[in-house]
Amino acid sequence: MPKKKKIAVYAATGCRACEQAILDIHYQVGSLTRWAELSFWPYILGSEWKKLEEQSEIDVCFFTGAIRTSSDRQAALRLRDKSRLMIALGACAAFGGLPGLVNMAPSEVRKESREETNGPNSRTREKGEEPNLPRMEERVSALSQVVDVEYFVPGCPPRQNFLWAAIQAIAFETESPVRLSFSALRLPQAMAQAITSGVLPPKGSVFSGERAVCASCARTKEKKQFKEFARPWQKDPDQGRCLLEQGFICQGIVTREGCGGVCTAAGLSCRGCFGKTDEVFDPGPKMVSAVSSTFDSDNPIEIASTVDQFVDLAGTIYRYTLASQCTLLSSP
Amino acid sequence: MNDFEPKILAFLCNWCSYVAADSAGVSRLTQKPNVRIIRVFCSGMVDPSYVVKAFSLGADGVLVAGCHPGDCHYISGNIKALRRSFLLKKLLSELGVEEERFRLEWVAASEPQRYVNLINRMIEEVRQLGPNPLRRSYPSAEKEKNSRLRSHGL
Amino acid sequence: MKEITFDALRWMEEPVRIKIFPDGEHPRGYFQITSPREVEGLCQGRPVEELPRILSILSPAHHLASALALDKLFGVEPPPLAVTMREALLQTLFFENHLRKIYFLVSSRFDPLSSSILPGNGTQGFPPSPHILDEIMSHISIAREAVTLLGGRSDHPLSAVAGGVSRYLKEENYERLSHIYESCLGFSLRLGEFLRQEILGKDQALSDLGAFSMAPMSFMTLSEAKDTVILRGGLGQELDRFSPDRIFQKIGLHRESWSYEPLAYIQDHSGGPELKDQVGLQAIFHDRCFFVGPLARLNQDTALTPLAEEERQRLLGDRGPLPRFDLSSAFWSLFLELLQAAEKMAELYKKENLTGPEIRNIPTEMGREGQAALESPKGLIYHHYRVDEKGLVTDIAVLDTVTENNALRCLLTQKTAEIALTRKHTTQEMKNFLELVLLPF
Repeated sequence: MPKKKKIAVYAATGCRACEQAILDIHYQVGSLTRWAELSFWPYILGSEWKKLEEQSEIDVCFFTGAIRTSSDRQAALRLRDKSRLMIALGACAAFGGLPGLVNMAPSEVRKESREETNGPNSRTREKGEEPNLPRMEERVSALSQVVDVEYFVPGCPPRQNFLWAAIQAIAFETESPVRLSFSALRLPQAMAQAITSGVLPPKGSVFSGERAVCASCARTKEKKQFKEFARPWQKDPDQGRCLLEQGFICQGIVTREGCGGVCTAAGLSCRGCFGKTDEVFDPGPKMVSAVSSTFDSDNPIEIASTVDQFVDLAGTIYRYTLASQCTLLSSP
Repeated sequence: MNDFEPKILAFLCNWCSYVAADSAGVSRLTQKPNVRIIRVFCSGMVDPSYVVKAFSLGADGVLVAGCHPGDCHYISGNIKALRRSFLLKKLLSELGVEEERFRLEWVAASEPQRYVNLINRMIEEVRQLGPNPLRRSYPSAEKEKNSRLRSHGL
Repeated sequence: MKEITFDALRWMEEPVRIKIFPDGEHPRGYFQITSPREVEGLCQGRPVEELPRILSILSPAHHLASALALDKLFGVEPPPLAVTMREALLQTLFFENHLRKIYFLVSSRFDPLSSSILPGNGTQGFPPSPHILDEIMSHISIAREAVTLLGGRSDHPLSAVAGGVSRYLKEENYERLSHIYESCLGFSLRLGEFLRQEILGKDQALSDLGAFSMAPMSFMTLSEAKDTVILRGGLGQELDRFSPDRIFQKIGLHRESWSYEPLAYIQDHSGGPELKDQVGLQAIFHDRCFFVGPLARLNQDTALTPLAEEERQRLLGDRGPLPRFDLSSAFWSLFLELLQAAEKMAELYKKENLTGPEIRNIPTEMGREGQAALESPKGLIYHHYRVDEKGLVTDIAVLDTVTENNALRCLLTQKTAEIALTRKHTTQEMKNFLELVLLPF
């Protein structure tokens, strides 16, 4: 019986959906512990930091949530120090996620929320000590912008099959291909081969598909041309046809596949929670290029009036990835 | 007064604007020195990603100059560039880079003076706007692993 | 004795830290939310129709509240099928949320993943019961599956949009949903028996906690029709009722330097306008506190579905009349609502209720303002948006249960700390005590 791997799970700033996704794995969360020891998981086990210090080494750490405060950063550094492998779980840890949108907020809004709680002008300071709060950092960061990260499991929330593949491949390092779900078919070839042979995939691997969401989206694609940009509230999309062709902005063309096209199947455009594909340098200019190529006109005035209908390009394109995949706003 | 010297990156198309720039040089027309030129085969070849990368590395302005509509060596490359420019400006301004820093212009091979006037005017306008507001990404330019740029003295 | 810090509390949905200063006669306990939420920063400038997807990170019920607010903003009424689907989704969220809390309660004395007793658990334990835990977990899973079928995605649902829902159910989904509600309903009854036998109503099982009770406090709920907010006092008497859009006139938000979330409190309207500065923390704790959630709804005494009503009678028989402020009732009310949610799911999931000609009414125009209130699993929530002429959000105010129950949780922390110090608990015992006291809220 091989030695049980030690797993740590930690959430910085975010919601708890990623951790609940781990609990929910294949209805058999209890079976996790036959192969792995969950040695540090504050949400479920109440593990304190000193428990982490007592361990000699953690094999795998699943880190969720974006880095918003100094205590998030400290946690990331401490866990990196103790862990052999760090996995950024969920869009927040992988790219900054929705909390990352704050990096684009007008500076008055950001300054206000910092001063109200950190400032010295709080009126109810009593005599005697009062605890202080971890300071908010200047900007929201993804985990990879603070520490080295070996693997990424993107998504908001991450999909069961990739999460399970990540746990099995990394935590169990199992050799039997039977254990792996069909996700091995979906993973990039290099990773799938590594996993089925029982070795670790190359560093920096993302547990998702390699192609764009369009490859797994169930909608039919015809001619990519639209005259008028449509906002989701303005019309009900035809349920069979590509959303981009109907005038809705859909991030699918620059986003990694792996979710199975959940949002497009539900009638809504993709918003990129799996992050950009490897081939794309930056999703923003790529979307600009892709959407502009569907315009028909040669006339600058017509083009300008079409473009005028587009709103909040940056907030839509970088919805989940502003912190780390927007070249103009991120510092590596 | 203001000792800020803007850095403009200019993508010039091989068949028209680059020729104009070249003749401007040969004819010794007076130009300000703040421009770095990259020769491309068509203005339509300039992927918006290059523009974004240029700004992220600290360019204060980016110019894309191509043939007049109808004169493109590849028929419609310049029209593609035209179509992209609107959304690109919108994206840039949402992220804090003022629209005026990016320009798409048409310059024929026979118009070296037009090229020079354009450049000079753009440099002054960008000087008024000030340095690239995203200059804090300069440290990242230092860490930029793409050392080919550095070895070429750029 | 120097300060005690707990920054790894179990089951907390938001980043929380508790600090206790055991200063002799006047110990102080602080309940700190250690990370900001910044809803304005996320949402300002976003197209308003994207808000249901963005705000679902606060909790899945916020997705539905946002869609309701959009209905108001665009001036559309969703068609009946959409209303039913949204309601079915909401009931499933109730079921999932409460079942998860019960999972935490039942597993509180030991590590649920390996069934080994957690070290240092001084208080008498519930017997480790792995079989019931597995069943609970599997029902949480199928409830999440139902959320995916109805809402598109499990934790951050998608399908509620302005004017309706975004897609029909598929043929094969009906059968699956049938199977799910049957399983959930049957299981809820079995769970009830287990809980009554082992945990609820048996003071010794919850030991210290069974008798733990908060001081009577005001509470706030939303009427069935979603058009009136009702505020009741510590004796159950009605203090005020008003339409949800006046909620920010009726409650204030007080900020402290040691927490990123403000504390909500009841504004006093007895005499003249009130300056924000004048309402200090002690005044809030004294008589301006209120809370929301399952216990508040229990005390509201609205009509329940048949099985849930039976359960309530059992609760009243065992614990005493309403209004109730003891911890045992707080947990019991979680189960009660779970049972009700299962019964409602059984009704709503029927195929005839989930079919119809239309799922969405397309708005023809856009207003400038929208708001909505909703009872989410954790309590009453409220959304208010203002947009510009392009439909981009200019102002947004969201009232979430974390803010509303913040004062309550601060008070509970203080009280628990006092009791634990008096009884000379070890740090571990104090921690478990705090976790359990805060769990139902």
